[in-house]
Amino acid sequence: MIQATFMVILTVGIFLVMGRVYRRLPNPVLVPVLTSTVLVVAILLVFNIPYETYMTGGQWIDSFLGPAVVALAYPMYRQREVLKAHMMPVIFGVLAGLCTALGSGLLFARMFGVDRASILSMVPKSLTTPVAIPVSSEIGGIPSMTIVFTMVAGFTGIIFGPLLVKSFRIKSSLGRGIAFGSASHALGTSKAFEYGERTASMSSVSMSLTAIFGSVLGPLFVWLFHI
Amino acid sequence: MKLVRIIVQIAALFIISFIGEEVRSLFNLPIPGSIIGLILLFFGLSFNLFPEKWIEDGAKFILAYLPMFFIPATAGVIQYPSLLSFSGAVLVVVVIISSLATMAAAGSVSEFFQRHDKEGER
Repeated sequence: MIQATFMVILTVGIFLVMGRVYRRLPNPVLVPVLTSTVLVVAILLVFNIPYETYMTGGQWIDSFLGPAVVALAYPMYRQREVLKAHMMPVIFGVLAGLCTALGSGLLFARMFGVDRASILSMVPKSLTTPVAIPVSSEIGGIPSMTIVFTMVAGFTGIIFGPLLVKSFRIKSSLGRGIAFGSASHALGTSKAFEYGERTASMSSVSMSLTAIFGSVLGPLFVWLFHI
Repeated sequence: MKLVRIIVQIAALFIISFIGEEVRSLFNLPIPGSIIGLILLFFGLSFNLFPEKWIEDGAKFILAYLPMFFIPATAGVIQYPSLLSFSGAVLVVVVIISSLATMAAAGSVSEFFQRHDKEGER
């Protein structure tokens, strides 16, 4: 119990401090999730703490993922008018992103001779982490690997997103938001805020829609292509 | 007072997530329970079953800390040291290329449909 409480305090403490660091030095490499995770892993390694021991407290924090996904309904509801007015670009943009994420992931993985477990773990990479985890275990992937892949997908958006959006001449707040949210979920949405409120809200809507559609299409895709 | 409201509303989000999980196992659905909860809450709000105020503060609070909840699960990578090898690097490259393609496709397709929208407002 004391051990678990300590792990929770450690994690929350590190995250709050790293949040401050990021506000001082807003560099994509210093995003709090990344620096905090690296620090937690470093502490576990240095003090030789097994992951299971850490998770006695970590699972408490983990349990907030479900309600956090439910909470995504709120920003989506707030944006219902924009959603209604731009039904087609939103729905088709998100679906195009999702199909590309699934298809290109499988294609490149096969090209590079990636093993089956890794391919399966890669399927939900464009979904927000709390949804990617259960989808990964549903289809027989390795959730921890999936988390790493979703993080990489997220950071790809943060680091290369601005350049990509410019070179593909994606100029509308709607198009940019959908690009960031579809490929890079919550991390991409945090970057989308730099383009303004509307881009960010479109990004968070596409992230939610990608999660909803992806949790159905992901398992279907695996079944269709006999991965 | 606001803190109490936030705690109660987060408790409500936990309950909705739990209901979603129950619905999932009841109908044996492949969709995560939390997504079912999201859909339930969205329709609850859309059909005015309860006012926005009942969930607003809790939702804003939990979403503001969303990245923090990823930390324990992400730290699980510690169990897979092979990801730091050459084959791990290949996987990372595949994910990066695929994610860039995803962004380009999602953005371009939505721009295409937007141009065909009557309003076309920017």
